[in-house]
Amino acid sequence: MPTVTFIPSYRKIDVEKGTTVLDAAQRAGLNINVVCGGHGKCGKCIVLIKGGRYEFDREKYGKFFTQNEMMTGSCLACTTTVLSDLQVFVPDSTLIQEQKILTDQLKAEIEFFPSVKKYYVELSPPTLDNPQPDLSRLLWGIHKSGGPSPEKVYAPLEVLRIIPERLRHSNWKVTATVALVPGGYRVIDLEENDTAKRLYGAAVDLGTTTVVAYLRDLTDGSILSVASNYNRQISCGEDILSRVNFAKRNGLEKLQALAVESINAAITLAANRAGIDREDIYEVVVAGNTVMTHILLGIDPAYMISEPYVPVVRRALSVAGSRIGIACDPNAGLFSFPAVSDFIGGDIIADILACGMAERDEISLMIDIGTNFEVVLGNRDWMFSCAGAAGPALEGGEVLFGMRANPGAIERIKIDPDTLDPTYSTINGFRPAGICGSGLIDLLAELICACVIDRNGRIDEGIAKRRIRKGRHGMEYVVVFADDTDIRKDIVITENDIKSLIMSKASILAACMTLMKEAGITREQIATIYFAGAFGNYLDKRNATIIGLIPEIPSEQIKNIGNGAIAGANIALINRRKRKILDEIAMKIAYIELNAESSFMDEYTQGTFLPHTDLTLFPNVQRFLNSCRMRKG
Amino acid sequence: MELTPSFDWTGSVGTVTLGATAADGGTRSIAYRIGGGTTLPLLPGGNPYHAPLVAFEICDDPRIWPSIALKACGDITQDIAAWARTAETAYRADIVRLYLTSTRQRNFSDIASLKKTVEAVLAATKLPVIIEGSNEPAIDSEVFLACGEAGQGERLLLGTAEAGRYRSIAAAALAYNHAVIAQSPIDINLAKQLNILMREIGVPRDHIVIDPYTGALGYGFEYSFSAMERIRFAALKGDTDLAMPMICSAIDSLNIKEVRDAGPAQQDAMAVRWETYAGISAVAAGAEIICVRHPESVVLMKEAIANLTLPKGGA
Repeated sequence: MPTVTFIPSYRKIDVEKGTTVLDAAQRAGLNINVVCGGHGKCGKCIVLIKGGRYEFDREKYGKFFTQNEMMTGSCLACTTTVLSDLQVFVPDSTLIQEQKILTDQLKAEIEFFPSVKKYYVELSPPTLDNPQPDLSRLLWGIHKSGGPSPEKVYAPLEVLRIIPERLRHSNWKVTATVALVPGGYRVIDLEENDTAKRLYGAAVDLGTTTVVAYLRDLTDGSILSVASNYNRQISCGEDILSRVNFAKRNGLEKLQALAVESINAAITLAANRAGIDREDIYEVVVAGNTVMTHILLGIDPAYMISEPYVPVVRRALSVAGSRIGIACDPNAGLFSFPAVSDFIGGDIIADILACGMAERDEISLMIDIGTNFEVVLGNRDWMFSCAGAAGPALEGGEVLFGMRANPGAIERIKIDPDTLDPTYSTINGFRPAGICGSGLIDLLAELICACVIDRNGRIDEGIAKRRIRKGRHGMEYVVVFADDTDIRKDIVITENDIKSLIMSKASILAACMTLMKEAGITREQIATIYFAGAFGNYLDKRNATIIGLIPEIPSEQIKNIGNGAIAGANIALINRRKRKILDEIAMKIAYIELNAESSFMDEYTQGTFLPHTDLTLFPNVQRFLNSCRMRKG
Repeated sequence: MELTPSFDWTGSVGTVTLGATAADGGTRSIAYRIGGGTTLPLLPGGNPYHAPLVAFEICDDPRIWPSIALKACGDITQDIAAWARTAETAYRADIVRLYLTSTRQRNFSDIASLKKTVEAVLAATKLPVIIEGSNEPAIDSEVFLACGEAGQGERLLLGTAEAGRYRSIAAAALAYNHAVIAQSPIDINLAKQLNILMREIGVPRDHIVIDPYTGALGYGFEYSFSAMERIRFAALKGDTDLAMPMICSAIDSLNIKEVRDAGPAQQDAMAVRWETYAGISAVAAGAEIICVRHPESVVLMKEAIANLTLPKGGA
């Protein structure tokens, strides 16, 4: 069998001839970025083969490589097959970066109350004088070591069956694992000797595209490792709707199995990295959107995608992980976050938990942006939520030179107001190939500040600068001239692109405004705006306010929580007391159906202006834009 | 017993002056200061500066004009000066609105002729004049500058600015001190957005007249009515970006199915009634200027306005 050596980490793995480099890397515990699911579509898994024989069609996938990369033997790990021993260099940019966790959330984690504990007990053997049964002997031992009182603890049959042998074989020195379950405690495992240090838990974000797993030491709460991989359901459809339709046609089993497989793969990867045994994981906490949660638990999501859009459950669920195929300790519990509606799922509840908005008096606004967006407004007493489609513009779709946040995407732009020349940075510093969402937001804000566009997003034809011209699609601004690009084409933004962006931002702002109206609060009453999701991480807060993507509040009150779903799952894993509020949150949230809200269209139209038709709602932006205009004369 | 409505409006409709008399450096026999209302239209105590005005519409290329209007006006439609003069002397309109329909043919480039047309109309009538320029962005700039220049000193009302093309008309209005019609498609927010855009490139508020866009009665006018009501409410509540007088032109009234289907004997009367009722509705919604194309509509409109705005006992 060929051996594949990955550098710079020097991990080695023996694989069958014909295995893909991606497979080998994943088995070696490397966390390769594969957004497309390993289909050679995203170009994120670039590796450099330093030596050995392999098969890769460099011509076919040439568009993903720079000139330099073409020359140096770069390949896409997912479509490269191993023919002999290989030495593979994995650049940092190809590895999935560990996700940012909110600091607020870490504060919540300081309170360490895991729901699973291990007790090492040394029992005295029974005698004729002390013929106490094995179980009560064990339970009393647990109690004496600081565990719950025996009458509160239940031992299931599968544990009872192993008790007599384990106690005697270990010479009465055993470690019992006790989990808090609804209504009391439960002994979920009994091991010989002292294994109390080996107690782990996993927090999982089950996303539609990506699965992220955090491995935590449940004796002290420390983070051991992080791993992520794509959701293997991608082979059954890219988006939620196509997955549900797949389930309708082919049954739920395959999707359920793939969901579990994806989670198991991520957990295994994390366990390998941390050097622990998967069997020592005693609890898994999963936050996923409503459909993902349903599928994972094998509950039919079909009725959720047509009117009147009702999910099956609206509460957190605890089940035995092994019942759905989770490969951890056979008695490990699986805790899944509750969902509110078809669109407000466990991932959003996790966002809410992560930012702590449900535990404070002051009012917060939380926005999770992807192709769809979800908005939650409220505090400890009340909450409103809504969801909608922002259109693909913010993810680079429907924009001539828009692209996803892949290498070579322009992610930051500033425009000199006098020369109108931009300075920009691209992901991984590659030559620019297009513009991703955060770059587009910067661009929009910079163009209005430089008075290139008006509040409707129309380019001023009267400006005599070479970057402003009439192109095939009408007026456009040239961001990068062809010579400086990777695609040998001028990268431009057209009035149509700007229009799509304004429509996207208008729908998000209108959703915020609709919730605020519904709750009867003004922007001054909002203490914090939270951005959740990957997009929020890269967003320039000030520019997001200038274009009116969000209501104007002081920028120090705008925070990114990054991946709120994984942050929330981590909190619930480490601090079981926080789980109690999850169901409360789920029951408290009122869901506003924007389509049924007569004022939404009005709010939307008001939002199709930079920043908003009612300029009094953006006093500082207004002042700033006035000063920009004054300077221009 | 008459009920006296009471509101707590704090705002009022801004004013726009149309036409300049000799005293102001123009050659008009009269100038109108429109707007100024402090409550909803037709209510006592609103104190607008002027009762709603009736503008008669003419054009320099009658080929695309409604046949009913052409028939009613007769041969004078072939002579733009005569048509304009007749609108003042015979039809007794308050304002003449000239559509430069000649610009709407393919590859139009005869800017010099436009200037002559505008000058001829200004010479033929002493009434304040509204000029509708091209609706082709490529020639906007030249057309509006020519109109603006030809009417220098006369305080014209130039039309029509839209969100997608307002810069050239605004430039012409600013250069020659004319007012501008700002039209948006039946939506209070879009109307406000356009007014902000115009203000930000330097057109003063008292040089803007809002055209909320009006369809014929029964053909979308109802939407216009409620958009106009909302615009007026906003003005009275103090939103200065919406506190402009409004102009309404339900011109497609002459072409609707009911008119087309009416027998030859009734067709003319049907057209006039439809145009007049749409106009009166627009007055009720708050319009300061009503545009018509049938001479008889002018008479009926003026009579209706006189009756509606008659000072009431106690007001």
